[in-house]
Amino acid sequence: MKSGVLNLVMKRLAVAVVTLLIVLFAVFFATSMLPGDTASILLGQAATPEAVAGLREAMHLNDPAILRFVLWLVGLLHGDLGTSYANQMPVAALIGGRLVNTMKLAAITTLLSVPLALTLGITAAMLRGSVYDRTVTVFSIGVISVPEFMVATLAVLLFAVYLKWLPALSSVNEAHSLTDLVRIYAMPVITLTFVISAQMIRMTRAAVIETLSTPYVEMALLKGASRSRMVLRHALPNALGPIVNAVALSLSYLVGGVIIVETIFNYPGIAKLMVDAVATRDLPLIQSCAMIFCLGYLFLITAADIVAIMSNPRLR
Amino acid sequence: MTMARATTSRRSFLGYSYSLVGVVAALVILAWMLVAILAPYIIPHSIGDIVDDDYFGPMRQGLWLGSDYLGRDMLSRVLMGARYTVGISLAAVFIACFSGVVLGMTAAVTGGWLDTCLSRFLDAMNSIPSKLFGLVVVAAVGSSIPALILTLAVIYTPGAYRFARALAVNINTMDFMTVARVRGENTAYLIGSEILPNIIRPVLADFGLRFVFIVLLLSGLSFLGLGLQPPLADWGALVRENIGGLPFAAPAVIIPSLAIASLTISVNLLIDNLPQKIRDRDA
Amino acid sequence: MTDKITNWTSADDAMVENAIRRGASRRELLKMLLAGGAAVAAGSVVLGRATQAVAATPVSGGNLKAAGWSSSTADTLDPAKASLSTDYVRCCSLYNRLTFLDKDGKTQMELAESFDSKDAKTWTVKLRKGVTFHDGKDLTADDVVYSLKRHLDKAVGSKVAKIAAQMTGFKSVDKSTVEITLADPNADLPTILALHHFMIVQDGTTDFSKGNGTGAFVLQTFEPGVRSVVTKNKNYWKSGKPYLDSFEFIAISDDSARVNALLSGDINFAASINPRAMKLVSGQQGFELLQSTSGNYTDLNIRLDMDPGSKADFVAGMKYLVNREQIVKSALRGLGEIGNDQPVSPANIYHNADLKPKAFDPDKAKFHFQKAGLLGQSIPVVASDAATSSIDMAVIIQAAGADIGMKLDVQRVPADGYWDNYWLKAPIHFGNINPRPTPDILFSLLYASNAPWNESQYKSEKFDKLLVEARGSLDQAKRKEIYNQMQTMVSEEAGTIIPAYISNVDALSSKVKGLEANPLGGMMGYAMAEYLWLEA
Repeated sequence: MKSGVLNLVMKRLAVAVVTLLIVLFAVFFATSMLPGDTASILLGQAATPEAVAGLREAMHLNDPAILRFVLWLVGLLHGDLGTSYANQMPVAALIGGRLVNTMKLAAITTLLSVPLALTLGITAAMLRGSVYDRTVTVFSIGVISVPEFMVATLAVLLFAVYLKWLPALSSVNEAHSLTDLVRIYAMPVITLTFVISAQMIRMTRAAVIETLSTPYVEMALLKGASRSRMVLRHALPNALGPIVNAVALSLSYLVGGVIIVETIFNYPGIAKLMVDAVATRDLPLIQSCAMIFCLGYLFLITAADIVAIMSNPRLR
Repeated sequence: MTMARATTSRRSFLGYSYSLVGVVAALVILAWMLVAILAPYIIPHSIGDIVDDDYFGPMRQGLWLGSDYLGRDMLSRVLMGARYTVGISLAAVFIACFSGVVLGMTAAVTGGWLDTCLSRFLDAMNSIPSKLFGLVVVAAVGSSIPALILTLAVIYTPGAYRFARALAVNINTMDFMTVARVRGENTAYLIGSEILPNIIRPVLADFGLRFVFIVLLLSGLSFLGLGLQPPLADWGALVRENIGGLPFAAPAVIIPSLAIASLTISVNLLIDNLPQKIRDRDA
Repeated sequence: MTDKITNWTSADDAMVENAIRRGASRRELLKMLLAGGAAVAAGSVVLGRATQAVAATPVSGGNLKAAGWSSSTADTLDPAKASLSTDYVRCCSLYNRLTFLDKDGKTQMELAESFDSKDAKTWTVKLRKGVTFHDGKDLTADDVVYSLKRHLDKAVGSKVAKIAAQMTGFKSVDKSTVEITLADPNADLPTILALHHFMIVQDGTTDFSKGNGTGAFVLQTFEPGVRSVVTKNKNYWKSGKPYLDSFEFIAISDDSARVNALLSGDINFAASINPRAMKLVSGQQGFELLQSTSGNYTDLNIRLDMDPGSKADFVAGMKYLVNREQIVKSALRGLGEIGNDQPVSPANIYHNADLKPKAFDPDKAKFHFQKAGLLGQSIPVVASDAATSSIDMAVIIQAAGADIGMKLDVQRVPADGYWDNYWLKAPIHFGNINPRPTPDILFSLLYASNAPWNESQYKSEKFDKLLVEARGSLDQAKRKEIYNQMQTMVSEEAGTIIPAYISNVDALSSKVKGLEANPLGGMMGYAMAEYLWLEA
């Protein structure tokens, strides 16, 4: 069985490389379809045809885009992410600190939201139809149906402007102590937890209910087995596949989707970097960000697939 | 805890049992649909007309839901917004879930290269940032409501696929599937009659969530220029354009938020409380 | 903006104070007070209090944290490439210009001591002595020549290449004298060189990441798209300045978040706040607002060389259909001045005040549309978030059109790529023009027959001739007369509808002192860092 999993991981790794290439090519293709290039966008309203041509020449943007893409890929093999078109800095330097910020925020949010969501989902499933269950549903859907920017703005108004408990901006470079850290991360983490928990809660609840209604669990229940024992011993392992998939899908949001939180709390992460890169058609930066998003996503779903397979003896 | 299934009042009608919560949820959805259909005939003001010199005006006679950031009538804008939020989101979520679930079940039942190819392809699609995708659609085909619906559907298909496939893979290992295969049933039968009934509830729960996501993304895409053109606005866009009224607790930002919440919560509560056939094995 | 005020409150005090700061005349102030329902006697009391608040002695020390509204990985410390307000603010703190514009729009000397010319074609610039760069090197004529000449190099990608192109000869006569030769006479050269892009860098600089200038602050940290921190230049040549020990600049693109960060005390200065948030700030103790009208405008451009703009009646009809008052009142919430379809704003000394804006007249509009045979047809109008308030303006014009049976189809297009894709190209579209210091720059860039950004494709030989005539003349009165005539021509003949000049409002903590309005834009024409001080 162990070698089976190892085999699977190896196979998935190979496939992941192919997926990554497809994504990079798709992103490259998408970027080239957008109107304008770095030279004309940097010049903005000052872009006359001659000025654009001159700058394009100076920035070496006259080579065919596909050639630049391939060269970037070759550089990537040597671990070189290239140089940003927009400000001539190495892409690795631009991404570095911001990737760490994104990872920190994602990690803290995961640690808070996953246990919370799973607990709520499982207990709601066990008490299906109860007032508790309905409260959880109404609350979780209610929370995500409020747009993210509104949750964040409300939090700032309440905790920063009126109560003055927390800073309105999450300035990472001002964190000197644990208290600072908590104060800085509190609002972004709560906002993101609101956003991603609902999917995990709802899917966990649905998957557990589904397994609870399979004939063998019903049989065991009729025979007098305890309900909580059934859930933990039988229903949960069988529902694990769908649950981890829902968790993976939710968490993938934390890699590239936190643009609103980054904007409102002025938290420098890579979602904003990607937006900037697209706005300036900064190909090396776009590709590098896309690669990070894709790797993050592939890691999450591959982990989910492996857990799903491990949890179902018949799939091993 | 044995058999401690806490149930609220369920009634029965024509051999179906239904719960009060489900009925209320269904009524709310119906009411919004009715509003969506009738909106053009019942709005008191044209949605583009500035009728108030003030902005973020309070609720008062004549302007029952106050005014927005330009001084336009919020009641009219919310009523018309129902059309787009309900219509476009429902269309998009149906397409996304239908294609995602059918593909997911097919992949699970068939397995092999089809499964691998489909899974990787949809994974790849899911890792393209939706903003970039939206911009490309605008650049390529311009802005129209069908383009908006399809874009939303495409963005949310991979997620539906992944979840449905994960569910279906588990069912696929059950003995009754082997039996059906031995009987020589074709794929369409297997997914329609054997898999779907066993995963329908989680799939519906997923549908409900995806509906919420689509309602919210809709306004984001409108702001990219894909979709609704001013002065039309869906509810999400109403919240967004009036967000400056939040510190003043302006109805212009609160009412559309409540409208979104009432619709999305109702859809999800209805899914949780669908009428069940009495004597269904879960009843 | 004052017709809603019925009770005099502390917020109104703030408004008057601000009006004084932006240099409002006594007549204007009285008008404001009367509109507010205050008796004249009460008015003078308020004025006294406000004047007192403005006059105070600067104190040194402290750290100012300010937030602008736009920032990206393309942020640069190269003045030639500066494109966002963020870049201007940073460059202003690190570098100096030869000249600058004061709060009245008059040109003042900065690194230059004098500008002299007999024919407005060959200019001699005397440089100030004893000015050093942050790295200790003295400022010389070579630095100035290098700084100006590089705008002509296409590889630099200068934002003002088109304006710089008229400078054809540069010579460093001696260590502190530069001679600039122009292709054609231009009396405005000293004012042109007050543009932010013409800041003086050190000779030979190609890497601008150090921000090595002669300015009031020395660069400490610069992360593009994130933040910058600059610290006091102890050897600054302006004695006593700057007052601040350090100045941190970030950008918060979300309007509400920027105001909230100010109110929560995270920052002391929030630039360019949404007019709808003014109520929030002015109602609070400890915060102030400063309004400046600089000549920034969003215009509706109807290309005269394409359908439907080629029909003169359509353009005439549109000019009547634009409800300028409503645009100022509803879209700009009073923070703007009604425009008269020409680019020289009231903040400019050459503004033609006798030229009245077209009154909103749907009947006349209908008449013209009918004559053009376009009534009832659907006409696309392209708007985007890229051009400030253009979507709101479009909606207002659309609603007015609907009332007379003119169907305007507003198309909101992405801000991304707008200037490349739609601006100047679509038959009817919106543009947004930043303030420029002289009518000559505005007209040459936007209205001359060969103008690079001729938004409506306006062509007039007479106009071109007048432009050259005014440019070469050193006679102020004559120029004023010619520019008045040109403003009338643009207003009547061009297809650019300029409904309003948009004001900018900066919000700040009351502890921040020394802020004044400036015709080059908000944040004192982006140069505030060296003038502000923090109350102890």
